[in-house]
Amino acid sequence: MRKKSILIIIAVCLMIITALPALSACSDNAEPKTGTLKVGIMTPHTGIAAEKGVPLRDANLDCIEYINTELGGVDGYKIEAINLDSQYKSDQAVANINQFMSSGCLFFTTSSSTEMGYVQAIANRAEFPGLVAYAAPSNYHPPEHIYGQTPDYGDDWIAFANYYLKNIWKGTGKPKMALHLLSNPTGFGARDAAKAMADTLGIQIVATEEHAATTISEIESLTRIKAANPDVIYISSTAKPAGVIIKNAKELGMYPNITIGVCHAAMVGSLITLAGADIVEGVYGTFPTVMFGENVPAMAKMTEYVKKLHPKDEGNPDYIAAWAQSLIIAEILKNALKNNSYSVLAKGDVNAWRLIEKDGFQKLNGYDVGGLQGAVKYVAGDNRLTMYNRVYRVVNGVIGSPSAWVEAPLVKYETFDWYGK
Amino acid sequence: MTLPCGTRNYNYSEDMATVRTGTQWTMLIVFLALLFTAPFFLNNYWLSVTNIIGITLIAAIGLNILVGYCGQLSIGHAGFIAVGAYTSAILTNRLEMPFLAGLIGAGVISGLVGIIFGLPSIRVKGFYLAITTIAAQFIIIWVINHWGLTGGFAGITVPYASLFGFEFRSQSSQFYLIIGIAVICVFLAKNFTRTKVGRAFVAVRDNDLAAEVMGVNLLFYKLLAFFIGCFFAGIAGSLYAHYTGSLNAEQFSFTESILYVGMIIIGGLGTNLGPILGVVFIRVLQRLLSGELVPFLEKTFTMFPAGFASGLSPMLFGLVIVLFLILEPRGLAHRWNLFKAAYRLWPFSY
Amino acid sequence: MAELLQYTITGLSVGMVYALIGLGFVLIWKSSSVANLALGPIVLMSSWFNYAMFIEKGLPLYVAFLLVLIFAVVLGWVIERVALRPLIAQPILSLIAVTLGIGYFLEGLVTFIWPASTAGFGDKHIFPREVIHIGPAIVSQEYVWVIGICLLVFFLLTFFFRYHRMGIAMRATADDQMAVQACGIPVTRVFSTSWMFACVVAAIGGILISSIGGISHGLVDTGLKSFSVVILGGLDSFGGAMIAGPIIGLLENLGGGYLTPYLWGGVKDIIPFFIIIIVMVIKPYGLFGEERIERI
Repeated sequence: MRKKSILIIIAVCLMIITALPALSACSDNAEPKTGTLKVGIMTPHTGIAAEKGVPLRDANLDCIEYINTELGGVDGYKIEAINLDSQYKSDQAVANINQFMSSGCLFFTTSSSTEMGYVQAIANRAEFPGLVAYAAPSNYHPPEHIYGQTPDYGDDWIAFANYYLKNIWKGTGKPKMALHLLSNPTGFGARDAAKAMADTLGIQIVATEEHAATTISEIESLTRIKAANPDVIYISSTAKPAGVIIKNAKELGMYPNITIGVCHAAMVGSLITLAGADIVEGVYGTFPTVMFGENVPAMAKMTEYVKKLHPKDEGNPDYIAAWAQSLIIAEILKNALKNNSYSVLAKGDVNAWRLIEKDGFQKLNGYDVGGLQGAVKYVAGDNRLTMYNRVYRVVNGVIGSPSAWVEAPLVKYETFDWYGK
Repeated sequence: MTLPCGTRNYNYSEDMATVRTGTQWTMLIVFLALLFTAPFFLNNYWLSVTNIIGITLIAAIGLNILVGYCGQLSIGHAGFIAVGAYTSAILTNRLEMPFLAGLIGAGVISGLVGIIFGLPSIRVKGFYLAITTIAAQFIIIWVINHWGLTGGFAGITVPYASLFGFEFRSQSSQFYLIIGIAVICVFLAKNFTRTKVGRAFVAVRDNDLAAEVMGVNLLFYKLLAFFIGCFFAGIAGSLYAHYTGSLNAEQFSFTESILYVGMIIIGGLGTNLGPILGVVFIRVLQRLLSGELVPFLEKTFTMFPAGFASGLSPMLFGLVIVLFLILEPRGLAHRWNLFKAAYRLWPFSY
Repeated sequence: MAELLQYTITGLSVGMVYALIGLGFVLIWKSSSVANLALGPIVLMSSWFNYAMFIEKGLPLYVAFLLVLIFAVVLGWVIERVALRPLIAQPILSLIAVTLGIGYFLEGLVTFIWPASTAGFGDKHIFPREVIHIGPAIVSQEYVWVIGICLLVFFLLTFFFRYHRMGIAMRATADDQMAVQACGIPVTRVFSTSWMFACVVAAIGGILISSIGGISHGLVDTGLKSFSVVILGGLDSFGGAMIAGPIIGLLENLGGGYLTPYLWGGVKDIIPFFIIIIVMVIKPYGLFGEERIERI
């Protein structure tokens, strides 16, 4: 064993020794404009969450290619994406973030709140700024160095509740709502929001049920929800379990008599393909971006690229979210380069991270992301970069009929004494 | 037993020594010296990989004592690691106790929980015992997710490890903490298996009825095995908690539990070397595949659409495991022994 | 009362799904005492293959189904021939670790071939979707089909093992490999056949489950869940798996149905484990497992 370990260590040493001159040669001799800005991009493109990880990764990389080739990078510097697979596992994610930090990335992004949950403390401790595409309240409450690209699962619930009260609820008194939550931060972000805001909004939560990601039947929990006689069921979950729940609700005769709303993790194309278009017809759901085919400035390029590089992702809103993420990456870098020289940032050390956070993230002020999502803006004390959601509805087997942008106010979860208890 | 040619023992203390020959001493010292100077020539990334290896190793040593030495199959090791991690988190975060209390507390609580789930082992054996450990895995995670003290789904933050006023903040200081404890654990395990208890474990593993007839108290030793195995898991969990700084029950998944069993089998069950080889092999392989090979392939073969290589990583991972086991079904430790024998007998090896 | 009926019916029908996949476990265990950890990925792989044939290639259902069966047979043969045959007479745990490796390999292969990672049958669903009303309770027609097919597979396997030469040889092999080999039974062929059978059963299970809830990576975990079913039933008993599946399904639904209001949520997935532990302490070889008399 000793020999083997020594061999490994020697091999690693040799690798580093050989790599070092190459690296230093790069940074010393090269022209400034041929340098790159490194960004770590973590996506779960294999493993249990690959259904979302694959389109997210595709879009991240496609968009960065677009920025580099057509826009000439950021101020002439190409973005170098270091894309690593988290496999949705903690040990992989932890190793990935260390790889990001030691390979000189300026900041990093993850797709999901879960991946960010694995690494957020490491990033916060190192002051390594991170951007999470789909955030949960636990990612940035209390706010540190992690930023949310789109509203979190709690905001989803608030946005849906607001929309429901305004546009769907026709009765008198408080509407009765049942929550069906995935047993992870995706589900329980919504529970926290409901706990914090239900009374303020005037919604009565009559049942809270929980399901596993691998569930194949939720008849049992829906039977109990049925007994509570709710007006609306909100499902904070991913597409597969949400599809199962909606299907069972239909079998039990509950749907479509009552309203069903889902969070943005479920409001994707696979909800329709998995459960069947006839089953999920009429389901409401929030999503933080526009959909394919809408008339916004960034749509044309994105559609061109998705058709050219990943035609199977066309129509998948996850692709849009990650495309928007890459646009925001470029914007952050652009902001940071305004006030700082490339050579300072390119070091990718703690100092560069601080500057990126101060001059990149926190200088975001109303960047419209090509109209793909709500404008991104940093307000002190609120690490959500945008607070706008739209409520969609499945109509004729496609996700459509978008509402106006619904704003979700900041909920200071960390001030509630029940939070995290 | 497998002493090099020409090495004899002249008294009992020599016979009982852990390290016997000058060569072994030299190699051990050189290895330890290399190991503990690693922060000077490894970058932060490889240090972090080494740290994870160290934490995994501590847990795997515990599992090896439980499965490899005492023969009690456990497919819920990640659950016991979670107990340790959360115990440490609760002690240091909520009760603001020092790190050392968290570390020891994690080991003890984890061991006690192990005893509870080990109770059926007195009647249930082999794969049927696996179900109680699978149950342990799921029940523990369920409790963690719903019990208020653990932070539930929102997770819990854990402060830095600190000893005598020194905070282990940087990757390299954490390296010394983790690898230091790992080395101690390896040493303890190596010696432990030679004690009365260790030999009782082997007797229970080989035939528990025979062991009982010989006067080994089955209940006591089986539960002790669970306690010790889970104690190591708890220590590993505590270190993991302070290393990553935040906990979430999803970090301790069932697939991870299965992988732990895979690691000690690939390394070689019931040997002291086995867990070390197995853990290093699996963790380094994981990193090389998903951290080096896949990015390299994607960069090199730009004619394919981005991401074509992502499926390769689990595929090759599985393939290498299968090939290794086909070529060396008794584990890497066995191959190492064969190699040592061949080296000693050279040029007259057979 | 209506609730009780609903919980019972749902429990029984969901339990049959676990039972069906559990049969695949038992098949391997019965002939070679190996716990097949690759079962989940095999279920996933054959579901995807079915999807590729039925939806992507647009073949008629029965052709697709036949092709899946052929595919499963080939898969089983290849796995046994390539990965397990070289390990005959090696420590059992090594064989189990090999199945773990096979599992990772197949998972990766699936990701490689079908990176989309989820698929649904959309409008071309295999079974009719109207629900059947039993008193105040309902059961989805898909589950009725699952129960029917599951029972069919169970009886076929039972008859095969009782009356067919190969089945008897399989049982004998499980009992004592050395003795069987001395009698001139080709043990390797027995292993090979049992793997083919297991893959076929897993493939049928995959087709049925994916027809209910679509294909996703979660199928791997559904495969793992049936592991606990099999242990409750007794690792070497088809009948045990067939009874333990519905028992687990019932426990999940009744326990979840009546205890959730008093305990934390998600208790549904935990209840079966408590019961299993209690049962195992009373009957250490599962409900119907063969008790081994030990010699010192």
